[in-house]
Amino acid sequence: MAEAVKSAAKLREYETVFLVKPDLTDENVDKVKDKLRGIVNRDGGKFLRFTIWGKKKTMYPVAKQPRAIYIHAHYLGNSAMVAEVERNMRNFDEVTRFMSKRLADDVNPESHQPQEDLKLAGEDDNKPFGGAEREGFGGFDNDMDDEGGYSA
Amino acid sequence: MSTMSPEKKRPAKKDNDGDMEGGDEKRGGRGFARRKVCRFCADKNAKVDYKDQSTLKYFVTERGKIIPRRISGNCALHQRAVAKAVKQSRGLALIPYLVLAS
Repeated sequence: MAEAVKSAAKLREYETVFLVKPDLTDENVDKVKDKLRGIVNRDGGKFLRFTIWGKKKTMYPVAKQPRAIYIHAHYLGNSAMVAEVERNMRNFDEVTRFMSKRLADDVNPESHQPQEDLKLAGEDDNKPFGGAEREGFGGFDNDMDDEGGYSA
Repeated sequence: MSTMSPEKKRPAKKDNDGDMEGGDEKRGGRGFARRKVCRFCADKNAKVDYKDQSTLKYFVTERGKIIPRRISGNCALHQRAVAKAVKQSRGLALIPYLVLAS
């Protein structure tokens, strides 16, 4: 019993990045957010913050779409809660992809307070992968033998 | 016999040393290699993050392959971290699995 009290006091810190369909309106995104926030807070966790990265071009088509809205969720909870969040994400039609990661163990919930959601502007550029900024590796071309024939 | 073995051994050993990466020394007669420093060790604030597309791009070829340690100059610890981050990042479509030649 003492253990149960202890585990309730200490939570783990998680983050989940998930992709939703690009044609979703802000309203629908808010709906998904509210559902997830409800799940976390219901099971004794603590939801900290959503960061919407905005609509971005994916590097390969996801759910047959060239773009997706990226959302980052940051919360405290336990492993069962992550499983529950992920189970729900699987059921949402809007969510096309997700990944959860543990950031820290034994977090004191008092030290983390919920913050206001952030919304970043999505970059919608059509820049191909790679580009000009890859300088600085001396002899890069010489050493990558397996990249031969790239120019052909 | 006893005089043979050290003589035989020596050139073999020298060969080995020559094949190993000589760090900032001359390498394979192809001129001088620049001394590479792990950028995550050099900059204590730099963290390997699977969400940081622009940094990870630096450790991936234009084709999408992970750049080996001998070229990127990462230390073993950070190369492992980078490799993991790249793979996680691929799953979220932040970095491509492969780029086809256009």
